[in-house]
Amino acid sequence: MNKKRIVITGIGIVSPIGIGKDEFWENLFAGKSGIKPITLFDTSNLKVKVAGEITDFDPLVILEVKKIMDLDRATLLLLSAAKLCLEDGQFQIDEKNTYQTGVAVGTTFGSLNSVSKYDQEALTEGPRYANPSVFPSTVGNSPASRISIKHKIKGFNTTISTGISAGLDALEYSADLIELNRAKQILVGSVEDLSLQTFMGLYKLDYLSGLHSTPACSCPFDKNRDGVVFAEGATMFLVQEADLVQDKTKIYGQISGVGSVFDPARFYRYNPKGTGMKRAMKMALDDAGLKPEDIDCVFANANATRGADPIETLAIKEVFGKYSQKVLVTAVKSITGETYSNSGSLAVAAALGAIAENKISPIINYKNKDENCELNFVLDKAKKQKVTHALINTFGPNGKNTSIIISRYN
Amino acid sequence: MKINKTKKVRVVVTGLGVISSLGFGKDRFWENLIKGKSGISKVDSFDTIDHSTHFGGEVRDFNPDDFMSRKKAQVMGRASHLAIAATKLAFKDAKLDCKKLLFENTAVFLGTTGGESQKIEEMDAVWLEKGVDAIDRMSIIQYPVSNISSNVALEFRVKGKTQIFTTACAAGNYAIGYGFDFLRLGKADMVIAGGSDAFSYLSYTGFNQVRAIAPEICQPFDKNRKGMIPGEGAGIIILETLESAQKRNAHIYAEIAGYGLSCDAFHMTNPQVEGVSACMESALKHSGIIPEDVDYISAHGTGTKFNDRTESTSIKKIFGSRKVPVSSIKSMLGHTMGAASAIEALTCCLTIENSLIPPTINHETSDAECDIDCVPNVARKHTVDIALNNGFAFGGNNASVVIKKFKD
Repeated sequence: MNKKRIVITGIGIVSPIGIGKDEFWENLFAGKSGIKPITLFDTSNLKVKVAGEITDFDPLVILEVKKIMDLDRATLLLLSAAKLCLEDGQFQIDEKNTYQTGVAVGTTFGSLNSVSKYDQEALTEGPRYANPSVFPSTVGNSPASRISIKHKIKGFNTTISTGISAGLDALEYSADLIELNRAKQILVGSVEDLSLQTFMGLYKLDYLSGLHSTPACSCPFDKNRDGVVFAEGATMFLVQEADLVQDKTKIYGQISGVGSVFDPARFYRYNPKGTGMKRAMKMALDDAGLKPEDIDCVFANANATRGADPIETLAIKEVFGKYSQKVLVTAVKSITGETYSNSGSLAVAAALGAIAENKISPIINYKNKDENCELNFVLDKAKKQKVTHALINTFGPNGKNTSIIISRYN
Repeated sequence: MKINKTKKVRVVVTGLGVISSLGFGKDRFWENLIKGKSGISKVDSFDTIDHSTHFGGEVRDFNPDDFMSRKKAQVMGRASHLAIAATKLAFKDAKLDCKKLLFENTAVFLGTTGGESQKIEEMDAVWLEKGVDAIDRMSIIQYPVSNISSNVALEFRVKGKTQIFTTACAAGNYAIGYGFDFLRLGKADMVIAGGSDAFSYLSYTGFNQVRAIAPEICQPFDKNRKGMIPGEGAGIIILETLESAQKRNAHIYAEIAGYGLSCDAFHMTNPQVEGVSACMESALKHSGIIPEDVDYISAHGTGTKFNDRTESTSIKKIFGSRKVPVSSIKSMLGHTMGAASAIEALTCCLTIENSLIPPTINHETSDAECDIDCVPNVARKHTVDIALNNGFAFGGNNASVVIKKFKD
């Protein structure tokens, strides 16, 4: 088939464990947790006081501007990741290539803080007195659109809001649009910010670790796991058609297969049979033309919720068969926390790091074996291993299951 | 990636479903649309006493129980209700038995601006009044915007890809466009595509505050136009590969010829001629169609000074002195946000099928800055083989879809 090879040639990351891909990889391989006490809002009345907050983040420095007007945190995180990505990919947007360049962003709660701020102000002060400069930031596509405005990217600008899988869905979308000649290069990524609104949502839905036992801990697959540790972050990739990349050494990896399905089993809950998870992984393998044995490492969705980790374990076992005892499995969220729409992108960045440095980042905080979650985990320390193909999973309680295979380019 | 490119896949529209302030279902909707009726009325969803305007395009007498079980309806927001109802109507129209079909290879692509905004508004009101602890768990679970596509997929047990685009007021066209791409790439054999938005306090307040809302009537392209009027609704079209449609002898409304995207990359709220015309040009180019062949333009036409002037100038730039009929059904429905371009795409299908162009109502005085043929006030008999459907959004996110008469 006359298919294009879609590759990643730039990475920009703003995460709880580092700003820029080098710092992110360094801390990821070192297993250094990004979870810390929350400073962005008051947690004195809350049972959970930690999150994956980005504490050393100064947008003025990264964006090289003197002041910032009316931009919310999600937008600043995303703009910073975009700038770092363009620098890393050494790509410049000019009048000649702007209409061949697009932006695709996955975010689900990126505008929630602005929405709620505007709404609450209108309710307290009256509709005539809310701050009008906040209103444009209440639309879901505001963070992504600011990238286009800042860098004059005119090809297209798309925001996808599918929950946990949003980052990977944006990647699939970008690969499809390049395949169909709608763009030559796309800045694609995702963002979620730590706001009281999003945090309280997860808090009240009982998703957070630390609500019932102390202290909160992001420990995927561990017997004592009790929920997610929420985190913020933004990731951007520069995605291009391989044939158009002159310096092939700049290629971090290739998107070689995608599987994305809906699992219509239950309302806002995981299907205990993992039907959708299995289908997504199988579809990704089939799309890439690979067998389970070809996969060197699985970057699991595993976010330490009681229900989802065993289901994913089961699904991996069924898809990989006998080889499930051998395939290495890691969980980025043990280190970064659950960055929701951004989690798939962070796992892709981790996979690209594995390909670049021939090692796989570990699962940290794992202490107690759970017989329902037994796989060949990379625990505590990074493992030396050549990675040719990595499978990345994002499985949401809303029925969305997207898996992507990232491969070494050759 | 394995992608089927051996033959060119044609994508056709085989079902239309709409819930609007001008009626439920395509027949009622179309009847009112060509009569030039208005769906604008006094806002009922919330008190507008402290707002400068009081009119909106709300959907009246919509009972979700008519379209889904009460148990399910109770656990979702209005945008999901509207989307599910429109999908059900679209299936019925497409003569697809949604109870029997397995939907193994069916995708759901939707667009929205506000999502379940009513839920966050409820929560914010409780938060302010009684404190954060009083917020109801069910409101939280119903809020995430991803629920809308998930709820539609869950209701019909769809097993393919689901996706929601939050590209504001052009979101419906984004969803239809990607549905078209997805089918051409052989990644699905049917796509439920469209958009949904519920009437929102936040959006009404915001547009009110920036003085973008007209007091009582929406007058796109009129010299004395005073702004847009927020509305709500859902529009769903069933996209199928031609092969799938012909195999089941489906009625084919029209074919999707292609679509185009662009971004103004200039300002969050002020549209630009360069970006808007680039979007239309891209849509025509990707569809292999020259401007001379376009018979009708379904305008974004919000009724604001800025949008209508920008869109008219862009149309002139591309189509020159030839006056293509251009109408804005937002004159009748108001601006249904993320649903708007989906409802307008569905209208293009009906326009092609009936050789009848819906009017731009409330037109009184021509505007030299909007020197186009806006099909004023009365529907017009006109053969339409090719229609261009415009959607332009906040953030300069533009998407235009080209819809053409199906010829075997």
